[in-house]
Amino acid sequence: MGNSWLPFVVLLVVVLFSFGVWFLAPKGENQTVWRSTLILSAVAMYLMWAITFLAQMHPLISPIRYDLRPE
Amino acid sequence: MAPTKDTLFRSADMSLTQLYIANEIGREVVSALGELGVMDFRDLNSETTAFQRTFTREIRRLDNVERQLRYFHGQMEKASIPIRSIYDFNNPFTSPSASEIDELADKSQSLENRISSLNESYETLKRREVELTEWRWVLREAGGFFDRARGQTEEIRHSLDNDDAPLLRDVEQHGQGEPAGEQSFSVMNIGFVAGVIPRERIAAFERILWRTLRGNLYMNQSEIPEPIINPENNEEISKNVFIIFAHGKEIIAKIRKISESLGADLYSVDENSELRRDQIREVNTRLSDLASVLRNTKSTLDAELTAISRSLAAWMVIIKKEKGTYETLNKFSYDHQRKTLIAEAWAPTNYLGLIKSTLQDVNDRAGLSVPTIVNQIKTTRTPPTYFKTNRFTLAFQTIIDAYGTIKYREVNPALPTIVTFPFLFAVMFGDFGHGMILFLAALAMIYYERKLQRSKLDELFSMIFYGRYIVFMMGIFSMYTGLVYCDAFSKPIPIFNSMWTWNEGDKGSLGPGASRLDGYTYPFGLDWKWHSTDNDLLFSNSYKMKLSILLGWCHMTFSLMWSLVNARYFHTPIDIWGNFVPGMIFFQSIFGYLSFSIVYKWSVDWAAIGRQPPSLLNMLIYMFLRPGTLEDPEQPLFKGQATIQVILLLLAVICIPILLFLKPFYLRYEHNKARAMGYRGIGENTRVSALDDDDDEGQTLNGGRESFGDDDDGIAMITQDIGHGEEHEEFEFSEIMIHQVIHTIEFCLNCVSHTASYLRLWALSLAHQRLSIVLWDMTMANAFAFTGIGGAIIMVVVFYFWFSLTVFVLCVMEGTSAMLHSLRLHWVEAMSKHFMGDGVPFQPFSFKILLEEDPVE
Repeated sequence: MGNSWLPFVVLLVVVLFSFGVWFLAPKGENQTVWRSTLILSAVAMYLMWAITFLAQMHPLISPIRYDLRPE
Repeated sequence: MAPTKDTLFRSADMSLTQLYIANEIGREVVSALGELGVMDFRDLNSETTAFQRTFTREIRRLDNVERQLRYFHGQMEKASIPIRSIYDFNNPFTSPSASEIDELADKSQSLENRISSLNESYETLKRREVELTEWRWVLREAGGFFDRARGQTEEIRHSLDNDDAPLLRDVEQHGQGEPAGEQSFSVMNIGFVAGVIPRERIAAFERILWRTLRGNLYMNQSEIPEPIINPENNEEISKNVFIIFAHGKEIIAKIRKISESLGADLYSVDENSELRRDQIREVNTRLSDLASVLRNTKSTLDAELTAISRSLAAWMVIIKKEKGTYETLNKFSYDHQRKTLIAEAWAPTNYLGLIKSTLQDVNDRAGLSVPTIVNQIKTTRTPPTYFKTNRFTLAFQTIIDAYGTIKYREVNPALPTIVTFPFLFAVMFGDFGHGMILFLAALAMIYYERKLQRSKLDELFSMIFYGRYIVFMMGIFSMYTGLVYCDAFSKPIPIFNSMWTWNEGDKGSLGPGASRLDGYTYPFGLDWKWHSTDNDLLFSNSYKMKLSILLGWCHMTFSLMWSLVNARYFHTPIDIWGNFVPGMIFFQSIFGYLSFSIVYKWSVDWAAIGRQPPSLLNMLIYMFLRPGTLEDPEQPLFKGQATIQVILLLLAVICIPILLFLKPFYLRYEHNKARAMGYRGIGENTRVSALDDDDDEGQTLNGGRESFGDDDDGIAMITQDIGHGEEHEEFEFSEIMIHQVIHTIEFCLNCVSHTASYLRLWALSLAHQRLSIVLWDMTMANAFAFTGIGGAIIMVVVFYFWFSLTVFVLCVMEGTSAMLHSLRLHWVEAMSKHFMGDGVPFQPFSFKILLEEDPVE
């Protein structure tokens, strides 16, 4: 059950979301704020998530329980 | 004209406008514009002093009214009468007419007279009362002395009287006796002085008397049990009654003088006890009369003040507005011939229509045939920077404004800051539970916004309240990063299946090692199995360090891109080719490459291909120290790594001279070309002035304009009051060169130091996580060890302890530090990449701002 394609799928979702926000942002004088805030938030959150995901994709170390030590 | 609509991205498009206002409606026009609050009037009389200006008399009069209103306010506070709050008025913001102002001024004058006369009589009465009270005490106490003194020499006096003075009753209790054999003191040639003196002076008083009279006196004193209230300042003073017996007239006179000079009040006391009793009776009646008069005066005063208190707040608002109006009118220049006021003001271009229609309204209301004329003026002056903010964006804009005023029409860093500031905060503060606390606190503040805005808050809380929407965003992002870090109050949040399973141990136990589910990566955030493992720090340190570098790289690249946007907007291609492009290449060839390497190293399954992953830190060091060689040439990160690194390094090195020389030399070339073609700097003095020489008949450019109204083609050129730093700058090559050298050195060094600076994201998030783990282990983890009723009680106590520490230490203190670090990352690391910021802030004449700065409660 490999899931290393996940970052690309989520990227697509973020891009679609951004387009959606661009066109669906409430009209009026705050449109720019709506657009920029929502898109930037989505991008920032995606970055954070993707970095975390990538960091664990091919881990170099594995967890070792601290309550049990090898004899 | 009609520019695109103003957004937060760039400051609003401004126009310098000139208004010609008929003198009669000047006040109404300015007050209507004050309600609008979108015009920043320029001072056209800056060389005249405040006293020489046209409307100084009106301002003085209003100052006087304001003083009277403050006096009422002070009196109300003294009488503790509450003022009707400004928020209880239906519409306190209607501008009053001039006659209403006059009425108000007269009213407040007469009220002031009435209040002050009432006050004066009240104070006089009060003083009288104090005197009488003191006298009564002297009579009582001195009477006691007399009786005691006589009791020693003579037989006890009998009293038939039924006076209720306690000392006299005391005498009565001493028993029966025949009527006093009145051997008067005067017969013995002994005089006496009686009075009251403040208690703290009594020691000095005694000493002085003793020294001057050489002990030839007999002094008796006693404390008055209740403090005497001074009517002038409402202070309580404790006093003593004294009575001094001495020989001879001169000595008595001396004693009188001394006691008066020491602030004692002397009262006459009769030595005859009958007369004394009469005196007491008289004093008592007078006191009770006085008390009733005092009560009446007080109630009249209170009634008067209560009546004023109902409308005082509205009056204060009216007077403040009126004063603001006249202060603005003082900035206008007055044309004596045409009887018009001329004003110059900056206004957002988008508001010009609104301004014009408002002026039309004022005109119609006044029924004036002469219209108010609005002219747009072309100018070389820098327009002020103005952003229309709302509740949400205000605090973010304030963050940026605190660093510097944004240049007119420059990209506003506040717009991305709405997201990046709370997000970088959250990277350092990542904990779902703590984020939830912030979020709920902000939500509560936003929910009770109106109520909180109206109440008085203390300094710290009002600061947090001001930034409530920042806290709100911080809370949301902290919850998110908390989920990514898999931390909620330092406990794991197992949402998905872990990617690790514990290995079967020898004795059937699980662990200590773990093996990975094949090909499965934990889908959201850090795997919760890392929690409380032996080597979780090893893993999370490596992860968070790289996270910081990558986020920092993204943030800096993002910020650097704005300098491209700015250069394109201001049409300065040299900034693109001389600053942006070489800077970008330099930054990307080193740190872009580092970021790429980090991501690339993650994406390769090193175990599967059976190779050791190279260390990225050493790779970067080798890239500079020994270009072309790798730490371990056998095991490169990817094929051709050494060659690519050499190319990147060369690119970076080439960019430095370009960054250094291209812009200054290009500017010199441009300048020399312009000179060669015979152009000279435009001097402002070639313009025509409408304001400097009003009486000049030949001056028609503007005079002629007036009747045409505000057609855009015939814009009048107006002299700015020159000499305010607006002069055309001389081209100085050396200066530009030095500036560029500094810029280059700064930029190249900052690329390194700023990237390193983003490591604070790692450090703070690590510290936050460790601290919350320690707090949990020291409190809650111990409390779980107890069971039964005792355990429950301990649990409750420990929970409160843990929770308050979580709020105050982890949320408030740690939150403040994370916020400051995020602030620094924006001000220094991000804004240094594109921020120009030499703008002039827009300071509109607005009643709203006026009342906010100086609130009427």
